[in-house]
Amino acid sequence: MSANVDDVAGDMFDMVKEYHGKKNLKALDLSKAMIIKYGAEECDKKLCKLAIRQLIDSGKCTYSYVGGSYIVLPPDS
Amino acid sequence: MADRKTDIGPPHYEKFLPPIIKANYGKWKHHEIVKPGVLMHVGQSGDKLFSVRAATPRLVSTVTIRLFADIAEEFCDGHLRWTSRNNVEFLISDSSKVDPCVARLTKEGYPVGGTGPGITNIVHTQGWVHCHSAATDASGVVKAVMDELFPYFNDKKLPAKLRIAFACCLNMCGAVHCSDISILGVHRKAPVVNHEQMNKMCEIPSTVAACPTGAIRPATVDGNQSVEVIEEQCMFCANCYTVCPAMTLNDPINDGLSIWVGGKVSQARSEPMFSKLAIPFIPNEPPRWPTTVAAVKNIVEVYAAHANNYERMGEWIERIGWPRFFDMTGIEFTKLHIDDFSHAGETYQRSVHFKRV
Amino acid sequence: MATKRETPLLDELMTGPWPSFVKEIKLSADDGKDAASDLLGVLEKSYNERIGHWKHGGIVGVMGYGGGVIGRYNDLPEEFPAVAHFHTIRVNQPSGWFYTADVLRKICDIWDKHGSGITNMHGSTGDMVLLGCNTDALEPVFAELTEIGFDLGGSGSDMRTPSCCCGEARCEWACYDTMAACHDITMHFQDELHRPAFPYKWKFKFSGCSNDCVASIARSDCSVIGTWSDDIQVDDAAIKEYADGKQVDIAQDVVRLCPTGCISFDGSKLAIDNADCVRCMHCINVMPKALAPGKERGATILIGAKAPIIGGALLASVMVPFLPMEAPYDDLKELAEAIWDLWGEHGKNRERVGEFIQRIGLGNFLEQIGLEPTPEMVAHPRTNPYIFFELGEEDGEE
Repeated sequence: MSANVDDVAGDMFDMVKEYHGKKNLKALDLSKAMIIKYGAEECDKKLCKLAIRQLIDSGKCTYSYVGGSYIVLPPDS
Repeated sequence: MADRKTDIGPPHYEKFLPPIIKANYGKWKHHEIVKPGVLMHVGQSGDKLFSVRAATPRLVSTVTIRLFADIAEEFCDGHLRWTSRNNVEFLISDSSKVDPCVARLTKEGYPVGGTGPGITNIVHTQGWVHCHSAATDASGVVKAVMDELFPYFNDKKLPAKLRIAFACCLNMCGAVHCSDISILGVHRKAPVVNHEQMNKMCEIPSTVAACPTGAIRPATVDGNQSVEVIEEQCMFCANCYTVCPAMTLNDPINDGLSIWVGGKVSQARSEPMFSKLAIPFIPNEPPRWPTTVAAVKNIVEVYAAHANNYERMGEWIERIGWPRFFDMTGIEFTKLHIDDFSHAGETYQRSVHFKRV
Repeated sequence: MATKRETPLLDELMTGPWPSFVKEIKLSADDGKDAASDLLGVLEKSYNERIGHWKHGGIVGVMGYGGGVIGRYNDLPEEFPAVAHFHTIRVNQPSGWFYTADVLRKICDIWDKHGSGITNMHGSTGDMVLLGCNTDALEPVFAELTEIGFDLGGSGSDMRTPSCCCGEARCEWACYDTMAACHDITMHFQDELHRPAFPYKWKFKFSGCSNDCVASIARSDCSVIGTWSDDIQVDDAAIKEYADGKQVDIAQDVVRLCPTGCISFDGSKLAIDNADCVRCMHCINVMPKALAPGKERGATILIGAKAPIIGGALLASVMVPFLPMEAPYDDLKELAEAIWDLWGEHGKNRERVGEFIQRIGLGNFLEQIGLEPTPEMVAHPRTNPYIFFELGEEDGEE
């Protein structure tokens, strides 16, 4: 499956939404899931990093800290 | 986001270096302590740089930072730096300005000292000023201890450097575990679980996983999904509280301080050492923590009277042996001093090479 | 205008020779900072009740970054409204904590406008800490800081703000340019600093020699300690000057205290058997005018120090016995990235790299990051016979 930053960021966002209130996800959890989904050939760590940056910079997700850093939905959403 | 400036990093240090440092960068020859709190570095060029070191309480107002800026401008063209132990240093190239700078800092209440074999500033944490997990205040204890040990900051000499560090809980924001004397805030009561808030504020599986001794397990309490704590297994590390705010450990009666001795980070002579437990618990006694202050002073004075030159606290104790350390300081040795965490057996005495009291 | 707080307990910390933090908070309160007034109030209450009044932070920061801001709220917001929010901003300090009067005043201007006026110079990791502001103030403070050339430091599961001793700027013992290395690494890894993507925190600390003024061996996941690979430089004429015994008793203070007994002194000439020297710095510390580190200089890289939480405190252990420290420090960067890859993949949440190495074993760790094991990495070889042999085809496996 071919992957671009927008798709990966979108999939990551869906994953954060799905786990909202159930489990806090770390940047690494999102990256690992995407590498499994698209395959390491199509989606490497670098692409995941860009996708996370897009996800955060767009304001769709934000970082939180509870004894470790997580990626979550913004508090007002 | 487009016009947003991010990831620019810190400014390049070169902008802030005085000309004498730029000229002698990497080309210093030697240094000496001219008098307490004043270092003289001599370059291969023969240039002389005087650093006047003054104490600060680490927590400083912008009013004071502006005062330091004014003093730096008056005596050294605005050049100053901070040390890794929260002292401020004024970087002077004109030797005639040294004494007036010392006099001015002393007058303003920021005494000059902290060089050579003695006691310098205590590195410390936030305490009740700002931290959620503090078992004590940091700044208050540090102030009370340094008021008492002040002569050693200024001109009274010890056999070697004596580094004191303070942390207000086991997270230890500071090198408390490797200091000649460490003062460490401790909790002594298992966390109180707020069952109503538990499931809203925290993830139950990660709270359970946070416990290094397996003392936390899931439980339903009054219809709430929550956790319970096996109190006998709790070692009061507060790791659960860090990942879950609904597990509070702070307690006015049972929180307090412990004192540790004999650690160091420098590799001079002996390898770096961890600090070891001297006093397991002293209650919180704000505002001036007299029992803690007296305990620290006692250890310093016994060390000062008996250690050889250049011998750090830990090296002195290794030479005389722990039985004599406890005997000479009058500190009681108890069951609590014996390690029972992982690899505890490594600390048992497995030879007859112990020294007599 | 905040209520003026009565602070009889805190006032007892206004006296004595050591500078008073209470005086500092009062300076800010008198300078018109309501947050400082209410901080005095809440702290006095803590001193009365012997308990703190601060809560966890949660989600607070500047847009795009996951580090640099520590959220903090008060549990008595009605009683102390000016510190209901009391967030900390970590500002990445310049290497070696050098400043000028001008730049400090600019920072004060920003903090006086938006915050409590209270700072820590500096925090434990090394950042300049702006202590206490509202959530609304975070973005303006950040924008104004970047305007004057400053950026935020680290927090959370990221690369924390690297720090270093003053090194070659003011120390003849520095075996590499600590300030340059610290700055270069900080700039190179800005993304790792601002966007947490590790299992837990990672600290770099740079010390120019093994006196280790930034406590790197105790406090950093990656400790870079200056050292040398040739012989200690001896100035015979200067030794003769020390030999008069006025400042130093060479036999007693130097020869006797050498940990490996590799120094001898015949009353005028000092001889060092450098093959036995462990570069501890003691003799150089005692006779700075006569002795100096060798000329072939670099650093030892050690990995894995940490405070007790959670598996117990660790000192860092040797990973690269000697590395020449020259810009652009590619070897160090590649080593860090290799470790981050492995630890990122297999580390548990809140597991520091030192604990990770203990869990998987140093031997396996080295194999995974592509480093050859060397005897410098251990105090001694294993004493137990439980060896995990890995038989390959050439071993004639049955």
